[in-house]
Amino acid sequence: MTKKKTNNTEALLKKKIKDLTASDFAQLEKPLGTASRPFPMWGPQRVEHNGRSDIETVLSFIASDSHPLMIFSERSYEEVVALAYCDMPVPSMLPIFKDGLERRADPLLRQKDIVEGRQPQNDNYNRTQMMIGDPGHGKSFLGALQGRLRSTGSVEIFDCGGKNMNDLLFEMVLDFGAGDALPKAIDKRLKAGALEDISIGLLKSLPKGVVSTDKDGNIQSIDWAALKTAGTEEVESAFNTLKKVSTVEGLDNAGGNALGMNSQYGPLIRAFIENREIVLDEYNKSREGSDNALQTVIQFLIGELRECTVDNPLKNKDNTSGPSSFTFKRDDMGAGFFVTFTGNKTEDGTTTRSLNKSVYDRLKPDTLPDPDVIDWQHRICQMMVGLPVSTLYNTFQEQADKDPEAFGEWLMWLRQTKAKVEGTPVPELQETLLSNWQNVVQASEKLAQFYDRWAGMTDAEKIITNGNADLIEEVDEEYTKKEGMSFRRIKQHLEEAIPIRARMEPVDSPVKLDMKSWDKPPQLSERVEENASLHFGSRLVEFIERMAYEKSGAVGKNRLYTKLVKAMEEYGLRDISLQEGARSQQKSVEEALNISAFADKDIHKQAAMARKIFCDFVRQMDPEIKASDDEIVTPKKFVDALKYVQQKETAATNELFVANRDPESMFAGQPLAAAIIKDAAVYALENKDIDFTIDALVHHDDLIASFALPTVGAKNLSAIWDQNIRPLTSRDTQPANDDAAPAADVPDHDEALRIAENRSKHGIATTSLQVLYEDAEGERPVSVHVVRNEQRNKTLIVSEKAPSKLLAAFREAGVIHVDRNDPLAKTKVEAALSDMTRGMPASIKDVLADAFMYRSTEDENAPKAGNVSLVDRLLDKDLEPLFPKFVVKNDKRANGPQ
Amino acid sequence: MAQNTEILEEVGVAVAQQNAMARGTRHLGHGCRLFSVESGWESAMIKGDKGVPTCDTMLSLEAAMKDENVKVIFIPADALMTDDDIEKICARNGVLKTLFKEVKK
Repeated sequence: MTKKKTNNTEALLKKKIKDLTASDFAQLEKPLGTASRPFPMWGPQRVEHNGRSDIETVLSFIASDSHPLMIFSERSYEEVVALAYCDMPVPSMLPIFKDGLERRADPLLRQKDIVEGRQPQNDNYNRTQMMIGDPGHGKSFLGALQGRLRSTGSVEIFDCGGKNMNDLLFEMVLDFGAGDALPKAIDKRLKAGALEDISIGLLKSLPKGVVSTDKDGNIQSIDWAALKTAGTEEVESAFNTLKKVSTVEGLDNAGGNALGMNSQYGPLIRAFIENREIVLDEYNKSREGSDNALQTVIQFLIGELRECTVDNPLKNKDNTSGPSSFTFKRDDMGAGFFVTFTGNKTEDGTTTRSLNKSVYDRLKPDTLPDPDVIDWQHRICQMMVGLPVSTLYNTFQEQADKDPEAFGEWLMWLRQTKAKVEGTPVPELQETLLSNWQNVVQASEKLAQFYDRWAGMTDAEKIITNGNADLIEEVDEEYTKKEGMSFRRIKQHLEEAIPIRARMEPVDSPVKLDMKSWDKPPQLSERVEENASLHFGSRLVEFIERMAYEKSGAVGKNRLYTKLVKAMEEYGLRDISLQEGARSQQKSVEEALNISAFADKDIHKQAAMARKIFCDFVRQMDPEIKASDDEIVTPKKFVDALKYVQQKETAATNELFVANRDPESMFAGQPLAAAIIKDAAVYALENKDIDFTIDALVHHDDLIASFALPTVGAKNLSAIWDQNIRPLTSRDTQPANDDAAPAADVPDHDEALRIAENRSKHGIATTSLQVLYEDAEGERPVSVHVVRNEQRNKTLIVSEKAPSKLLAAFREAGVIHVDRNDPLAKTKVEAALSDMTRGMPASIKDVLADAFMYRSTEDENAPKAGNVSLVDRLLDKDLEPLFPKFVVKNDKRANGPQ
Repeated sequence: MAQNTEILEEVGVAVAQQNAMARGTRHLGHGCRLFSVESGWESAMIKGDKGVPTCDTMLSLEAAMKDENVKVIFIPADALMTDDDIEKICARNGVLKTLFKEVKK
């Protein structure tokens, strides 16, 4: 009889190490850190500086085909690498991660040597790793991660806090009978509200932490799994309680509801028998003196003993049955077995105890270093996008900078592969952020520096030495424990920033209160859906600011609050601190993380978005069109159209692309039509008359729609500027000039003119276009006024009412559209202008108004009250264009993009 | 036809999951994530997805956490457990799962 060959890897980790074959190894081996796929690593290294070498801790990598890190895993290769790169421990923990992987691999490599007929390289049978660090540092996560990299099953995390450690070997358990019939029956009645009052009272007396109640004392849940193995004393007491409940409820007579109590192998022995990993969490919070029987077992676990036997002290206690002893044997040790011990630093609190010297000697714990900026950044990235972009970027910076697109694609592959393990798609927010990974790196660096500073200010132990001695009266140990900065707090901040919630407007925003008819609900405008990433940065920074205040200023720690505010400014959390910096490449955290879905560089994604907006627009404009998106225009046609727009240079020629609603060409696959700006200033300069009629004008809605389409809107916004007015302002007239430089012999000190040409150093510009509009008043040309802040990619467009289907897209495009007939138009324009000119000189609005008037003229007979503001001019329906820029259908071109 | 229905269901599940993800995440232990899903078509889509167990008690959630074939778990609005209970169970099972908890609109 031949032994059945294992066809998959799932059972291999359950095999004894000594039974593993060459074929098993071939299936299990998953190398990490090979020559072509290096894996980041952190550690001390000799670094040369100007001929002098120093020992420094650096972020480098492992990249060896001969000696990579070897993970023996039942998972597929792609799952192992995705998890290893995405869930990678913070840099300062990487050496411990490496150590853990090596300990797990050592006995298997030894066996492989034997199988392959080589002299075994090592004799390390230490199947343990112990880590000590601050709460929330990620110790148990690291232990379980290493287990997860190897196995698809769950890694048991045994909370040792307050427990008798001998229970790890043998424990008293409640026996609920087959299929947990009694707990299920009680749960069922609890859910139905059918439990007797006396039973409810009894259940509430179950050991602490097992029953959770709401604020009114109603039982919300019973943690049966925790109760089952709550510890010998607790199990005995729970047994008596449940017996009574069982009787009260009449469940003692039902078949299968037998309740018993037994001693059985504890979690450690079970993990050994089942060949799986276990994490003994918070080991030094276990009950003092309760781990005597464990000492020889630890000797076995670290490889000092080949075998050891432990007796069951619970055997025959209370007439229970159970095993009498267990013998750990090295020969029985399975490939999947491993024990991780974690412990808190003894400063953590009174429940944390110092372990015996012998335990320290045997387990040789690694103490986790305090997080550095690089660690904060790593964790921030993981929480934001699901993988540590910053660490990967820092490790492979040269290549990432050289080919950011390929680097981005690789990051996306890692995240999407991890998503397969998670069983869900990558959240849209993460996908958008990852598509803009440079922004994530930039923002996370600033955030990390800020959090590191915050951590320093709230660590009572270190404030004397880290430059925060002035906080000594405000920050004590109690405050550190309660409010000290930690990974958990950062997690909370990032979680809070995801959902879109009501937000407070800037204090200087104009506000209009309607004081009538409050007895009725307000009339709400159409709900505009918003992409979660569009204002993610703003939400995050707002929450951080709120927390900084609540944890300091609001509780009387004013000095701390002042320092936190200063740090927020120093590390550029907000746009406001960029009054000067806005012209540099450095974005604030807020700006870097406010990412429009339109920023996605993938033309196919852009086309998909544009197509949806276009089709919704077309159907809204003509409700008779019932055609589906596919029937209106295929995805491929839209991709082709966007590709054409993308490659076309239009800024110099003032060519535009507008929505095409001509049924014949639209249904033939042309969603866009060509248009061109014909400038009355040029006609004036050339002493020519306008040579087209009103019918040649592009319809208002078709132009407005183009601003809502990704790629198309951006292209059009760069093609509406000119220098045609400049020659008219000079005594010696010049021909129209398309170059970026001002026309020769024309003075260039007029800031208003530069603004009208989009050449201002402030990055602000304004112009007006003329298009066709039709309503109850008939067909006529109307103005479309545009104010643009190029640096912040924000645009204000004031015109007639825009189709509602475009509103959400406007937001993504950074466009604020205001209907000049809207009763709230003035408030909206004021708010938009305040936002767009924030950080600029106070006089800029006046200069903008002057710039605007280069192309308009006021009715001289109209009554005026003081200076007319830009807001009034933008909204003035009677304002006559002086040199109108007509947007006309471009008949000379072959029907737009093909 | 049956294939079309299947594709529609898959798309529906993906949309429901994305909507829940956009509403915010609670990061639990060991990479588990808890999302809130509105009761109605969204919760029905996720609940009806193949291979997604519905866990309405801590016992059933514990069992689902230990099941290697389960990646996504649905918790109905009337489940006998609090968010803290869910967090506790995730903390003691070092495994990566995605949880959707139904919430009333």
